[in-house]
Amino acid sequence: MPAIEHNPAPRVRDRQPVRLGSLGVFLRARPELLREWMLCRQLNLVMFCAVTIMIGAGVYGVVMGSWRGPWQALYTGIKLPLAILLTTLGNGLLNGMLAPLLGINLTFRQSLAAVLMSFAIASVVLGALSPVVWFVVWNTPPLTAAMQLSSPEYGVMQLSLAGFIALAGVVGNAHLLPLLSEWARSTATARKVLFAWLAGNLFLGSQICWVLRPFIWDPSRPVEFIGREYFHGSFFETVFEAARRLIFQ
Amino acid sequence: MNNQNLIPPTTPQIPPPIPPVMASSGPRSLGDDPSERLAIPNVIVTIEAILRQPRRVMFQLRQPGAGRLIAGMLFVSVVCSLIYGVVAGTFSGGAQLWAVPVKIAVGLMISALICLPSLYIFTCLGGSQARLVEVSGLLAGLLMLMTILLIGFAPVAWIFSQSTESLAWMGTLHLIFWFIATCFGLRFLETGFSHSNARSSAGFRVWVVIFMLVALQMTTALRPILGTSKTFLPTEKKFFIAHWGDCLKGRDEASKSESR
Amino acid sequence: MGALDELSPREISVLLSGEPEKIVAWTGQWSARRFALHVVVIIVGAGFYGAAMGWWRDPQQALYTALKFPLIILLTTTANALLNAMLAPLLGLNIPFRQSFSAILMSFVIAAAILGAFSPLLAFLIWNAPPMSSATPSESTYNFIKLTQVAVIAFAGVTGNVRLFQLLSRLAGRRVVACRVLFAWLAGNLFLGSQLSWILRPFIGSPSLPVEFFRATALHGNFYENVFHSLLQFFQQFD
Repeated sequence: MPAIEHNPAPRVRDRQPVRLGSLGVFLRARPELLREWMLCRQLNLVMFCAVTIMIGAGVYGVVMGSWRGPWQALYTGIKLPLAILLTTLGNGLLNGMLAPLLGINLTFRQSLAAVLMSFAIASVVLGALSPVVWFVVWNTPPLTAAMQLSSPEYGVMQLSLAGFIALAGVVGNAHLLPLLSEWARSTATARKVLFAWLAGNLFLGSQICWVLRPFIWDPSRPVEFIGREYFHGSFFETVFEAARRLIFQ
Repeated sequence: MNNQNLIPPTTPQIPPPIPPVMASSGPRSLGDDPSERLAIPNVIVTIEAILRQPRRVMFQLRQPGAGRLIAGMLFVSVVCSLIYGVVAGTFSGGAQLWAVPVKIAVGLMISALICLPSLYIFTCLGGSQARLVEVSGLLAGLLMLMTILLIGFAPVAWIFSQSTESLAWMGTLHLIFWFIATCFGLRFLETGFSHSNARSSAGFRVWVVIFMLVALQMTTALRPILGTSKTFLPTEKKFFIAHWGDCLKGRDEASKSESR
Repeated sequence: MGALDELSPREISVLLSGEPEKIVAWTGQWSARRFALHVVVIIVGAGFYGAAMGWWRDPQQALYTALKFPLIILLTTTANALLNAMLAPLLGLNIPFRQSFSAILMSFVIAAAILGAFSPLLAFLIWNAPPMSSATPSESTYNFIKLTQVAVIAFAGVTGNVRLFQLLSRLAGRRVVACRVLFAWLAGNLFLGSQLSWILRPFIGSPSLPVEFFRATALHGNFYENVFHSLLQFFQQFD
């Protein structure tokens, strides 16, 4: 088992860190400052991140769903932040255990705050990209009887939406790694923990998104928040079945 | 006998003074040069400054009252894009002489507005200390530099507009001019951010791609810029690559029917 | 040196020899008289060369080409003046509009002076050639005259640009900056100049076509479309 570092001396807590007053301060914060916030202003940080996720991912969700209609916009505006928060909370215990096991001495609250921070950064990026996404959605031909899941215009929009989410995710994780490295004093350890958290979050997050679908459009159903049949089956079962059909067709 | 080598010095030698940091040892800070600290009183000086003293513009964007400078730059951008729009509209004539200037000016402003939030966020994430006002100012500077360069290309564009009937050719030419002008504008923007203690420019590079794609799509969203149409705005929504493909396909079919 | 001493035909030999201090000083000080002299040299030099070019077809063609050749040079310089003035500081050479305009004009003056000097030689060559007509199988003669003209124009152009490069190096203090600016100016001037030449064709003329100032299709199509289609047709014959 790798050596676990103890938390730094209380001397760090004597000095009041810079206040988390604005988005700019949050986004520009260096790993040392983020660490101080996690130690000294944890509640402020968690609240700030939660609100940022709700607003940033919420606005992005509204724009995503607006192509289908106003109700879908409202539902996706609620579901996208919900998926993020449920993933974070659902994996909170697991992430809190994995971190010290892999070499970073974070408490449950601290690991929760760290994951929330990376999601908050991703949500800010999503919120900032919302006008661009709105422009993409506005330029996509509207939903008509001729539109199908295989239509190229729908494909372009889908790819753009997914691409921006991927970009936001990469940015969020790229900012988490220096924080973990700062905490662990070792980039290798930080990478291990980040990879473990990512694997767990992606695993749970995929299934939560599967349950909460659709986010853009379901051609076979009217607009609804969540349908009963979405609790049947799972994301990975569906992927497995699709792969099996493709390979053995 | 020489006693100098035997007697150690009783007082330490005073080291020579450290020479001041020379300019070649690193980038100069904005405002180091006194000429950069001169205020920019009007739009003519703004135009000259952005071409010949861009650092002066960058420095003034950090000073109180930068809003006036930003407003001036946006005003110049609008006027220049209107003028270039008139030149572009001479290809088709008629209603395009007023429709194209409006579309180019409005399209440019809307593209910038759409991309401003992501620019601010990406630059913050890169560690830049630039405030929103400064970021907006640098973006306004990009628009101004882009549009005044388009004015420089205007005579060339007009000559070609009068001597060809090929939509594809004129479209390509306008895109080339726009691309060259945008490159210079983006260079101004990047230089501006390099003075704001940014640690990484990866986010900025991603933003550049987004901005170019939004601007290209805007030309399709507001079509036709070249050619004529019964309506001011298109009735059908399309992405720009599909639109370009349709234009080229239409051109090939027209030339095939002419050759029969 | 008095104002009258500054302004003399000797100034052209100073331009041709490329005396750096004087030329830098001239570009830095605007003088309407010097500008007028330069324009006159372009009109006279390029005009005489154009007359020699067009004389092979017809004296009327000589007159037309004598007018069109200087017109192309002056139109290219004027139409691209703003663009060239903006590109110079953006590429690292911080000179005002007048100085960039003067520099480019001077390079064209040098080219026009060389063309004017070669015009008697071209006239002599054409005088010795069989007249241009559809009946005369003069393809080799036509090609030879065409190539000679291309060589002379190329020589004049290269010399003008070499002097321009030397001037820019002097103004910028760095050859790299001078190279960038010269390349950008050349690209813009060649791009526009080719199209203006296309619009104002013909220059030599064709025995099967009437003598005209403009062709009827002057404003239909452009130089680059024509080159593109020619290339397409060339490659299509191999399909």
